[in-house]
Amino acid sequence: MQKVYVLSALVIIGLALFYIFQGCYPDLMYLFSNAFPPLISGMAVIVSGLSLERYWRKAKGPFSKTWLYFTAGLFFWFLGEAVWAGYTLILGVEVPYPSIADIFWLAGYIPFFVALYLYVKIFGGALTRKTLVASMMATIVMTVIVTVVLLAPLLTAGEDPVTLVADFAYPLFDLALFSVAHLGLIIFWKGKLAKSWLFINAAIAMDTCADIIFSYATAQNAYYCGHMLELLYHFSYLFFMLAFYLHTKEL
Amino acid sequence: MNREKSLVERALIEAVDEGLLMLGESGREVVYFRLRFSYAIGKEDVPSHPEIFDECLRSIFGSGAKAIEKAIIKNLYKKLGLKFVEKENFDFLEYLNYAKRQSGN
Repeated sequence: MQKVYVLSALVIIGLALFYIFQGCYPDLMYLFSNAFPPLISGMAVIVSGLSLERYWRKAKGPFSKTWLYFTAGLFFWFLGEAVWAGYTLILGVEVPYPSIADIFWLAGYIPFFVALYLYVKIFGGALTRKTLVASMMATIVMTVIVTVVLLAPLLTAGEDPVTLVADFAYPLFDLALFSVAHLGLIIFWKGKLAKSWLFINAAIAMDTCADIIFSYATAQNAYYCGHMLELLYHFSYLFFMLAFYLHTKEL
Repeated sequence: MNREKSLVERALIEAVDEGLLMLGESGREVVYFRLRFSYAIGKEDVPSHPEIFDECLRSIFGSGAKAIEKAIIKNLYKKLGLKFVEKENFDFLEYLNYAKRQSGN
């Protein structure tokens, strides 16, 4: 299992270096920035699909259903990445936001949320009412903070309503995922599954940060293909893969 | 008395088997695998070593083990015709001992 951590660390370092020195190869960077996300998200779908195959007992079983939803969510995100790549690399649209890709990305949150909810619900009896109240309070506080942080820059940017909705939807949907995912981490904290849940939470945290920065950057016309924030999206997919791989190793 | 005790044991083995199915068959097999290789007991030994089974579940699921144990105990009580009344701090071993006492009477 150590090999997986070493490999992941090497991928993270490699990606970071590739983005840092992008000034030396701008054309390659543009291609990579658009072609790599479908690749890494496709790999995440495969890893999740392998977990699904492992846990599948029957469609009505709650645990197998969970993995079906995880895979469906990641598949929608993969479609989003593929459509974005189609816009940029084939149609030549510089920053296709908002676009049809956003429909797939936003749709992906639904099965992903259901997956997290179903999983946590199976073990939900282990959570005390005190923990649930504290968790709910933390989620509300985080939602207020994210909304307040984004409100002024986005409203003054003069974006159209659809873009504004997308700008707020992504970080808020991320927080919705986080509100359930951190409960999973609390439940499994002292067990072998904690590692898997730690990576699921890390992946969602990366997505949340990336989406907040993306909303801000696009509103300020500061986003370009190859922006450093893309690293967070790549790391997020990598962490999801690690989480699902570790889950199948531990259970 | 002995016949009743073995009835509880059989019911517990079945309840464990069915309760662990909430993880899917592969999940159940992993729990049995860990029991065998980390704790040197088989699933048929769970009634005589419930504390080891409890420890095994906690090592994998942390406090999430409670949910699995609750499902097992509910299933066990149903098999034994006992009424399951939930206490605030669920304890697998306490519930199990209560079931043994009740079935032994």
